[in-house]
Amino acid sequence: MSKIINLTDIGQGKAYQISGFENHPSEYTEKLHKMGFVEGTTIELAPVKLSDPIVFQIRGSRIALRKDEARQVLVKEF
Amino acid sequence: MHKIERIAIAGVPNCGKTTLFNSLTGSRQKVGNWPGVTVEKVEGRLPLQDSSIDLVDLPGTYNLSPDSEDQKVAEKVIREGEYDLILNVVDATSLSRNLFLTMDLKERTNQIIVLLNMVDVAEKEGIEINIDQLSKELNLPVIPVVAVNKESVAKALKRVENAIESLPEHDSHISSVEVIDSVQKYASIDKIHSRVVQEIKDRNESITNKIDNVVLHRFAAIPIFLVSMFVTFWFAIGFGSVFIDFFDILGGLVFVDVPAIFLSSLGSPEWLLVMAGGIGAGCQTVATFVPVVFFMFFSLAILENLGYMARVGVVADRIMRRIGLPGSAFIPMVVGFGCTVPAIMAARTLTSKRDRFMTIFMAPFMSCGARLPVYALFCAALFGAYSGFAVFMIYLAGLAMAILTGYFLKNTLFKGTPSHFVMDLPLYHAPQFGAVFKTAWLRTKHFVRKAGKIVVIAVFVLSVLNSIGFKDGVISFGNEDSEVSVLATAGKAIGPVFEPMGISKENWPASVALFTGLFAKEAIVGTLNSLYASMEMDPSTEMIAEEDRSSLDVAGSITEAFTTIGEGVVGLVSSFDVLGIALISEDQQAISEEIGADTSVYQHIATYFTVFSAFAYLLFVLMYFPCLAVIGAARQEMGGFYAGVMAAYSTLLAWAVATLFYQIAEGHNLWFIALSLLILAGVYGGLHLLGKREKMVSNIVFAPPIRKSCCE
Repeated sequence: MSKIINLTDIGQGKAYQISGFENHPSEYTEKLHKMGFVEGTTIELAPVKLSDPIVFQIRGSRIALRKDEARQVLVKEF
Repeated sequence: MHKIERIAIAGVPNCGKTTLFNSLTGSRQKVGNWPGVTVEKVEGRLPLQDSSIDLVDLPGTYNLSPDSEDQKVAEKVIREGEYDLILNVVDATSLSRNLFLTMDLKERTNQIIVLLNMVDVAEKEGIEINIDQLSKELNLPVIPVVAVNKESVAKALKRVENAIESLPEHDSHISSVEVIDSVQKYASIDKIHSRVVQEIKDRNESITNKIDNVVLHRFAAIPIFLVSMFVTFWFAIGFGSVFIDFFDILGGLVFVDVPAIFLSSLGSPEWLLVMAGGIGAGCQTVATFVPVVFFMFFSLAILENLGYMARVGVVADRIMRRIGLPGSAFIPMVVGFGCTVPAIMAARTLTSKRDRFMTIFMAPFMSCGARLPVYALFCAALFGAYSGFAVFMIYLAGLAMAILTGYFLKNTLFKGTPSHFVMDLPLYHAPQFGAVFKTAWLRTKHFVRKAGKIVVIAVFVLSVLNSIGFKDGVISFGNEDSEVSVLATAGKAIGPVFEPMGISKENWPASVALFTGLFAKEAIVGTLNSLYASMEMDPSTEMIAEEDRSSLDVAGSITEAFTTIGEGVVGLVSSFDVLGIALISEDQQAISEEIGADTSVYQHIATYFTVFSAFAYLLFVLMYFPCLAVIGAARQEMGGFYAGVMAAYSTLLAWAVATLFYQIAEGHNLWFIALSLLILAGVYGGLHLLGKREKMVSNIVFAPPIRKSCCE
């Protein structure tokens, strides 16, 4: 079992799996759920190198999240 | 066989449903609002072999939870079964996130046909979708389509007609279908996805991603963003302004001069001429805003169509989040420096009602082009070498007020509604100019109809008041910008109100001009000019006034109107000074020519104002009641109540800030300082109370979301 880290700490070019959320349930995590951020979903950094907001690649599309908000998403390496 | 009369098109933002709607309905379209809310409603008619069907374009939503006004509207429409069929447009390139809406739709009706759009793009990106399998898994008809291709749409339409035949009986099953939560929905979507989709290429190689790697690059993002904002502003304001004089002159000819000639040739009484003149002036005012509003809508539609709007939201987020607004609110703010009316219309791109209203409240504080002539006049008269600094401070004060307003609203009227940032970046598309043009045209038409009405009425009332005058017990007309008009009398009577900000009783023209400034702020210049001149009863100005009323020259006006376009284009190309800042200078003669004032007006200003009272006056001009056209636009976008709140708020704020400045700088009257602070506190308190009322109203109006079968 690999280590669980915050979504904001993931490295470029590697795929991760969403493992949970801090402060769940909240309005924000509900919103993320509806946008496809659910446990088990594969997520990675888009190669655009913007530091805040950060652009992620998820479910075949690109979604930008604010750094301090995205911290609540927990991921683990595959 | 089903009888289908009304169809609604549903889909996530940027799935191509508006494009599809356009190709289905052609030119038979209408833009309006959904009843009771300020969400845009686009309707059209779809011609079929033997009948014609009402088609409505629902607001784009990712789901049907009533989180935003858009979603509430879509949810209500679908739940109430007002439409016989839902065409669910699904973007094939982003299937799993699109199917979430499909799942939400299925919980509310069984009259759904899925249109799988952008199958061509998906193919190019290496996504293979088994359509029959998808249809089986969803238990819904699924029809592939390429919305930008007319032939493909026609073919899909045939298949839709066939599919309608085989739809099950209508069932609005609020009760009969199990409602599942988001996690469960995605679990079943993932299952479907794995069975029907095969990805055979790396997505990072797609064109969109390649563009993004540049546009959202750490270092390139900001410069590209600034350039794109400048181009937008230049196009909407610069290009729109080229036609302002054209519309103004032609509007004046058609709505004011020709009817006047016609009516007087019939021997109509003078009061009728004044009335007709008032209505004509109102129409003329609306006409002058048509070009900027049109070009604003045009450039917004291009940005959205292109897919860059979402990137604007991302890049500007870091600045805008500080004042509690999403990045896309940056555009209305920037446009506000040109003209507040299109800025308010630009707020439409914001999805949440809170963000939209906040932006509309803040936009008028961005100092618009119409206020510049007033600054120029006072600068030339009083500020001399410090003109540039003074104008810069005014602009800065406007920015500060906008931020203060944002802070006020965040903590009062729109308390407890944080907006999280989850921004979907759609694929880039080449904009379709036909569709963009049509959208802009329809929205402009809607603006003229809706906002125009109130503007015409308001301008009419003010014009009549400006014309009617009482002198020695006799009522007379034609007293525009003179001492005897009702407006001037009212201005004089209200004069003491402005004394705390340094406008003495003898300086009554300054307070009267604030009234004519309601038409458009640059009207202040004209009023000050003629009122100060009339104070000394200089015979030469009387003559000029006479000259103005000379006979009508239709051909001359038309030629002049067209000439302005040419001059405008030349000016636009030769200078990048879109704000018109070059107007500010020390050269009184040059400014007089530019803004149409007599040079004698400078002496009057220098006599009646001190440097500080002039600056206070400019602060007031900057902030008070945005012009009537702005209130008309605000009413269209927020409803009459909030437009009224906005007018009152800005005027009170203007008074308090101008007074505070003058009293601290020069007046040193502690009572007035205390009073202005008290008013600021009162404004804050008032907004706070309104916020409470708003919360209550929204709790009553909107039904709670449908029950979920599972608890989280």
